[in-house]
Amino acid sequence: MTRRLALLAAFAAFAAAAAGPVLAADRLHLYNWNNYIAPETVKRFEAACKCEVVQTYYSDNEELLAKLAAGAKGYDVLVPTGNTVEALVKGRQLQPLDKAKIPNLRNVDPAYLDTPWDPGNQYSAPYAMSTTILGYNDQKMKELGLPTDTWAVIFDPKFLARVKGRVTVLDSSAELFAAAFKYLGYSANDVDEKHWREAADLIKMAKPYWAAFNASSYIKELTVGNIWLVHGYSNDIFQANLDAQAAGRKFRILQGVPKEGAVLAVDSMVIHRSAPRPDLAHQFINFMLDGRNSAELTNLIGSGNPNLDAARHIKPELKALPAVFPPKEVAAKLEQLNELSPAQRRLRNRLWTEIRASR
Amino acid sequence: MRKGRVALWAAALVAYAFLYVPLAIVVVYSFNDSRLNAEWVGFTLDWYRKLANDDEMIRAAVNSLAIALVASLVSTVLGTMAGVAMHRYRMRVLPLLVFAPIAIPEILMGVALLIFFVLLNLTLGLVSVALAHIAFCIGFVAIVVRARLAGMDESLVEAARDCGATPWQAFLRVTLPLIMPGVIAGALMAFTLSIDDFVITFFTAGAGTVTLPLQIYSMIKIAVTPEVNAVSTLLMLLTLVLIVVAARLSPSLLRTNQENP
Repeated sequence: MTRRLALLAAFAAFAAAAAGPVLAADRLHLYNWNNYIAPETVKRFEAACKCEVVQTYYSDNEELLAKLAAGAKGYDVLVPTGNTVEALVKGRQLQPLDKAKIPNLRNVDPAYLDTPWDPGNQYSAPYAMSTTILGYNDQKMKELGLPTDTWAVIFDPKFLARVKGRVTVLDSSAELFAAAFKYLGYSANDVDEKHWREAADLIKMAKPYWAAFNASSYIKELTVGNIWLVHGYSNDIFQANLDAQAAGRKFRILQGVPKEGAVLAVDSMVIHRSAPRPDLAHQFINFMLDGRNSAELTNLIGSGNPNLDAARHIKPELKALPAVFPPKEVAAKLEQLNELSPAQRRLRNRLWTEIRASR
Repeated sequence: MRKGRVALWAAALVAYAFLYVPLAIVVVYSFNDSRLNAEWVGFTLDWYRKLANDDEMIRAAVNSLAIALVASLVSTVLGTMAGVAMHRYRMRVLPLLVFAPIAIPEILMGVALLIFFVLLNLTLGLVSVALAHIAFCIGFVAIVVRARLAGMDESLVEAARDCGATPWQAFLRVTLPLIMPGVIAGALMAFTLSIDDFVITFFTAGAGTVTLPLQIYSMIKIAVTPEVNAVSTLLMLLTLVLIVVAARLSPSLLRTNQENP
């Protein structure tokens, strides 16, 4: 009997300990990607707001949507990507921003405001961004005499024959189709079925030359030197280069922005409908739109920066990267992906299955 | 005959290598002086130093341990009760209820529990995760305990009752010690299941609740560093210590063969 009581007591103590922090006030709950805010930025915000920042992480927009759709609460600020904001708005998960509390919104490059998925930025403020581009081993590409400024290098057998088995592409139908569309001269958001089939045929033709569809370990493969050319995210390619330098490799991993254009993904800060502390959430968003704070993230992970005021705080070697501050002519060819209709999604899934099954 | 022996040894060796070499690699590479951790560079304790200063990772590990301890304790008590009940009485519905969570796909259970907790207006956090883990662990404990009971000699309990023991005394003094290896095995199983669960934990964890699997999974996108190896090594060490201590305290606990006095 006493043992059971002891158990109960232990459980009660555990419950109390667990419930304790929830009751404590002055906490900002940030639902974020891992390593997506500089530690020194967090420290400075905590000092400014006299509060504590508690982060929880997700690794996929779908995870975030699923969790919130099921009714999870307690988060203040979320950082969804691009049109995920639209899905969240449609799901009535967000509360509108009070722009009077976010004067720093004026720091944001107007090119990244007023998007189709959130007209007038009623709900979202741009946080950081990445582009889906080429990453390559500079030594190998030079030796092989391959271009690094065109999608042809991952789709055209003429080039691919020279790097067979040393190329990976993202394991994402949306990203790969977009790259193929760009190479074929269409919009990344093209919805013409004929064009889709054309893109699928292109991918199937190039597939035998690729080593893998890889969206997770290609950073490592690049750094180790197993893979020489990837279709990947600009932040990852930046990370791969840092790792390669730290490991003392003789080659560098560079970014190549294809001249045909590429996919742009902007992550935005939004406030959850049932945010416990909307006041801190607004304060946080405004804080992150300050040039210095925004720049710290870019300096850490090489993310693209939509903040005009950040430029002066960014390390010079980073500022030159087209993926961080895309120059006008590059920016003009970047496209954000739209959400597909269910019928379009079905078609793409079917084509994707065909591609994955083909030899 | 000799050939058979050699083959047996070889098979055993391969099987054990398959089980333990990956674990050994995790431990060895926790001392690797390379953030990438792709090949051996040199020996360092940096990752353990880094881990000691990484509040987030430590918090995640402590949360995981606390949840696993509570979940395994509570589910062992409840699961043993369920196992005994199912063995002793002819029940139609109870086995269904107890074993269903084992068969239900994790993702379904995770979403269902999340919706349920939201409905109850329970704040998501350590408590909701622990409750969820208890729910899916009970079935596993019950299965093991019931299997153990099936091999038990009933006449021992009857003898105890004949000698004047109350049903409660007979259970505590005769049945429980006999099924103890099963109970312990169930508890260890529950502990492991709880500590490495991702799917159900992901859905039932609230804002600011991080467990080790959640933490590690969210790091995969930006490459896993040897710090993860370091924290895994420490966890393995802890589990090893727990098992050794349990074996020391009661040498018969971990013996699984049936020994009828």
